[in-house]
Amino acid sequence: MSSTAKNPSIIRRSLRRTIFFTIAILAIGSTFEPYNQAQLAVVLIYFIGVLSVTLLTGISGQISLGQGALMAVGGYTTALLMTNYSISLWIAVPASIVGAGVAGALLGIAAARLSGPYLAGTTLVIALAIPTIANRFMSVFKGDEGLPVDVGYPPTWFTNFFGEPTYEEWQLYVVLPFAAIALFFASNLLLSRTGRIWKSIRDHETAAALTGVNYSRQKIYVFIIASIFAGLAGALYGLRGLVGPSVYPVALSLTLLTAAVLGGIRSIFGAFIGTVIVVFLPDWIDLVLGNFELSEQVSNFMPALISSLLLILTVVINPAGVAGGSHLHKHK
Amino acid sequence: MDTFLAALFSGTSRGAIYALVALGLVIVWRGAGVVNFAQMGQAMFSTYIASTLIQNGNSYWVGFFVALFAGAALGALLDILVMRPLSNKKKTELLSSESMRAAIPVIASLGILGVLQALAGIIWAAEERGFPAPAAQEGFTVAGSVMPFTSFDVFVISIVLVTLTMTTIFFKKTGVGLAMRATALNQEVARLSGIRTNFTRTLSWAISGAASSLAGLLITPTSNLSPNTLDLVLIIGFTAAVVGGLNSPAGAVLGGFILGLVISFVTFYLSPEDVFLSILAVLLIVLIVKPRGILGGKDSRRV
Repeated sequence: MSSTAKNPSIIRRSLRRTIFFTIAILAIGSTFEPYNQAQLAVVLIYFIGVLSVTLLTGISGQISLGQGALMAVGGYTTALLMTNYSISLWIAVPASIVGAGVAGALLGIAAARLSGPYLAGTTLVIALAIPTIANRFMSVFKGDEGLPVDVGYPPTWFTNFFGEPTYEEWQLYVVLPFAAIALFFASNLLLSRTGRIWKSIRDHETAAALTGVNYSRQKIYVFIIASIFAGLAGALYGLRGLVGPSVYPVALSLTLLTAAVLGGIRSIFGAFIGTVIVVFLPDWIDLVLGNFELSEQVSNFMPALISSLLLILTVVINPAGVAGGSHLHKHK
Repeated sequence: MDTFLAALFSGTSRGAIYALVALGLVIVWRGAGVVNFAQMGQAMFSTYIASTLIQNGNSYWVGFFVALFAGAALGALLDILVMRPLSNKKKTELLSSESMRAAIPVIASLGILGVLQALAGIIWAAEERGFPAPAAQEGFTVAGSVMPFTSFDVFVISIVLVTLTMTTIFFKKTGVGLAMRATALNQEVARLSGIRTNFTRTLSWAISGAASSLAGLLITPTSNLSPNTLDLVLIIGFTAAVVGGLNSPAGAVLGGFILGLVISFVTFYLSPEDVFLSILAVLLIVLIVKPRGILGGKDSRRV
């Protein structure tokens, strides 16, 4: 597991990607107006969540329709720490990944025995059932009302150095370091021996077992790591204003999967492209539809229709996704 | 005792519909190797067609049979347009592993669900509408108290039982049914022995489409019809299929009734808020004890 440390070139490559990513986001983000800066913050949050799908489904072959539930675990952990103990978000968000990791370990232990449609179904029911816990324990989780949290205001040293950012801009700056760290870790994992072990489980469990891989244990590791990514995304997602059952619906899990598939389910770059498509698609469609005289009934459902059509077309025509083409070399 | 009987009756009636949904899922899983998450989207679509026909002055039964036919046609169409091209992609590297072969069609069916729900929103708007029942919906009176069991429930249970019997006979006694079972068992061998596997796959999509349309027609009188109403029914039906064993039609029926009763008893004795957690509990307990479901057979691995 610790072979990454022995292999400085992997760390260097990941670091290079991360720095490039951070600079690019900062450069692009500073040219945007507030609305698009908030959208870009959502892209970064989703990106972390989509990375969990990439690791789980794309790299190790375990389909999950329930990453939204793990996002809810992360969100509630952060919100409870921040509202009940008034802990700063810079501590509460990293702490939330512990909660998500524990939930992921439990899920992984159950999921290691399941495969294919059984796993898809179980995770789907989890996505549906977990948010209802909020209504079961009203006194702690406050039911449908939820727990209001936000990113607050920048500290004085920040405003002294960089001037007063708008709220949307500050949202982006809070999310960016977490997204960069997530990217760094995901990139490391994919390039390292661990990533290759997970790919071997995806390609053939029995063959992997014959080369000495304990696939049940590795599946649990995959679930823990993926849950940590999802929990982090969920914590940041809640910081947009509210942590409640309505913030983490089943549709959120499906959005993450859609983004991962559209971009390319096996690559980090694909995860980012897919996220950008999913987040900005409604805006782009509105822009195009503005030229036509359409009733509200039609234009309300257009984004859903087009993104679903894109999903089907991607799967049927090019299942490797936008970024997938060059990564897939035939080895048969 | 009254609560117990009430829970039993309403659980049986709901369970019959969940059994039908689960059966539809099992037929496509066995016949085409796909878990069809779009199934209740198809049912929603054909129920809307029936509802439109009935609102325009046609009789209930015209709407009923047109919906069944539309469900079958839509199922066949989806197989031909989406799933058949997808299954021809098995040679590509992404789909060379078993895990991805199971995952990719699931994603495609989620895309189909999204398209159907958006189209329904565009065509029929998103507002909820009621759907008529062909029989009275007042409860029978047993020993002085009104039971939540109506003539409509009797209609539901009998029509579901007839459908289940017909499906069993179809699979066991007819040549086409035999061909479909052979395709499910091993597609290559079935094709080598002269079975047109593309045809049997499409046929299983059509049968499943009709079965789920029937489920849609039977469940919407007690809920309401909107593009998303049947999502929950799908999740419950899917859980039923997994609990019973995805490979086993009998298991699907058993799972449907188990789920119906569990949901009903939890609703009556605990609270409706606990329903999803109890479904999750049932699912996890069954899958930990028997990962392939109650009647799903042995979990075998082959190199």
